[in-house]
Amino acid sequence: MTYIRTFLHIVALPLILVLIWFVATLGEASFFVPTPQLLIETFFETWTSERFVSDVFPSLGRLMTGIALSILIGIVGGLLIGSFRWLRALLEPTLEFFRAIPPPVLIPVIMLLIGIGDEMKVSVIVLGAVWPILLNTIEGVRSMDEVLADTSRTYGMTKFNSVRYLILPSAMPQIMAGIRQSLSIALILMVISEMFASTEGLGFAIVQFQRSFAIPEMWSGIVLLGLIGVVLSFIFQLTERWVLGWYHGLREIEQSA
Amino acid sequence: MTSAHSQPTNPVISQSSIQETPDGRIPVGKTMPGEQPMLSVQNLKKVYHTDGGDIEAVRNLTFDLPKGQLACLVGPSGSGKTTLLKCISGLMAPSAGEVTLHGQKVTGPPKSMAVVFQEYGRSLFPWLRVAENVELPLKNQGMDKAARKEAVEQALEAVGLAHVPKSYPWQLSGGMQQRVAIARAVAYQPEVLLMDEPFAAVDAQTRADLEDLVRGIWKKLGVSVLFVTHDIDESVYLGERVIILSSSPTIIQEDVLVDLPAERDQLETRSSQRFAELRHHVYEQIQLAKKGFRPEDAVAMK
Repeated sequence: MTYIRTFLHIVALPLILVLIWFVATLGEASFFVPTPQLLIETFFETWTSERFVSDVFPSLGRLMTGIALSILIGIVGGLLIGSFRWLRALLEPTLEFFRAIPPPVLIPVIMLLIGIGDEMKVSVIVLGAVWPILLNTIEGVRSMDEVLADTSRTYGMTKFNSVRYLILPSAMPQIMAGIRQSLSIALILMVISEMFASTEGLGFAIVQFQRSFAIPEMWSGIVLLGLIGVVLSFIFQLTERWVLGWYHGLREIEQSA
Repeated sequence: MTSAHSQPTNPVISQSSIQETPDGRIPVGKTMPGEQPMLSVQNLKKVYHTDGGDIEAVRNLTFDLPKGQLACLVGPSGSGKTTLLKCISGLMAPSAGEVTLHGQKVTGPPKSMAVVFQEYGRSLFPWLRVAENVELPLKNQGMDKAARKEAVEQALEAVGLAHVPKSYPWQLSGGMQQRVAIARAVAYQPEVLLMDEPFAAVDAQTRADLEDLVRGIWKKLGVSVLFVTHDIDESVYLGERVIILSSSPTIIQEDVLVDLPAERDQLETRSSQRFAELRHHVYEQIQLAKKGFRPEDAVAMK
């Protein structure tokens, strides 16, 4: 029963929106707004088979690489910067500066420096998506519970074990919050990076459709981007529930007390 | 001491003595000659430097803890008990004086020492299950898996928690969480066990059970225990000796021998006459400390 209710909650709003869209496009046929039927048709025509391999696949590959690198760099860098006060004092003002630069403006420079290949696109993704993870990890490491840190010290925990069993898990709620923000940034930058000097990719394809006035195809690409976002967030939620099970349990008990 | 209104039948045995220290002639706790003591605190001083000026938390403390003794440190609130414990456990460096363990100066947390903190909720790893919490220090020491498993099982058995190894600490009651922390300390097999007001945050009944648990574990393991508390009854009931601290800046007010029988019972012991006498004496001293009476004034008058 609860499953059915949850399912209804999820699909209710999309169904209503599609219905409104259907009714609104009933009479006159606008060139710029396709009907739902046409869009669905176009969607399957456009994104199955060939194009999936040539455009969607490379895009997803770069997105995943970018996210993985952002997580890795963000966590390792955050652990280091969060652990050493002098390093934090040294880097924080500079980090704030680089964080403030919107990565798309760097694309021309990066193209000159490392070319127009996958490296450039992944770099652009990482340059934008790494910040929430890095800064949240630093904050997570800094907000370590003092009693817990003292406990670890009295038991003579080695550096490695401290990171593995104390610092990393204790910063994990903040790290996950950072990753959640990074996912949407990464998706945006994936599209933008493919709009420059590209020959394939989702972003490239959508721009191509726009320029050739293939309007339903363009819309279907936008829908696909939305769907990728939904899937990413779903995977994230599953992972988070698994990694932070203890945290949600603890929070629930604290709130009910 | 001056207690004209109540003359105890048996005098309370004070183990403190007056010594020449860098801060003048002040009372110190019982000390032992040569290599005897397991843990020795010598002229310990701790001054916190803050923006608002220096705060002298601990002025001068000297006492020894022999092997296998259970001593209670009791003092009015704000008497630097936690500061003292942090210095002894090597978590904080003293401003002057030193702590030695087996004659070795303590500069960082020593291997053979375990600490049980008051805030059980913050000293257990919330992302590890009960058994994993107990196991972690052993894993860190490089103990092999089979030995670890046995040690964890025994420790949980000893504190009466053998039935919840797979629970998370936060799923347990406060008293049970503190038992987990005690089990972790027990499994670590320390020579000295420091306890910083471990039962201050649990209810009275759980507290009584935990007191008996600590006595039981202490007897079974032969470990030296330094138990910090602000509860006078608890200090007399638990300890073989009660070290009374003055108000801040802290020195030792008195070092009292608890000559109660070794077998203690929440009902029998607490209603015995000797318990009442000792409790009365310690209470009186704490009241004096709170009023700002300092033992060195008495020394100066003599």
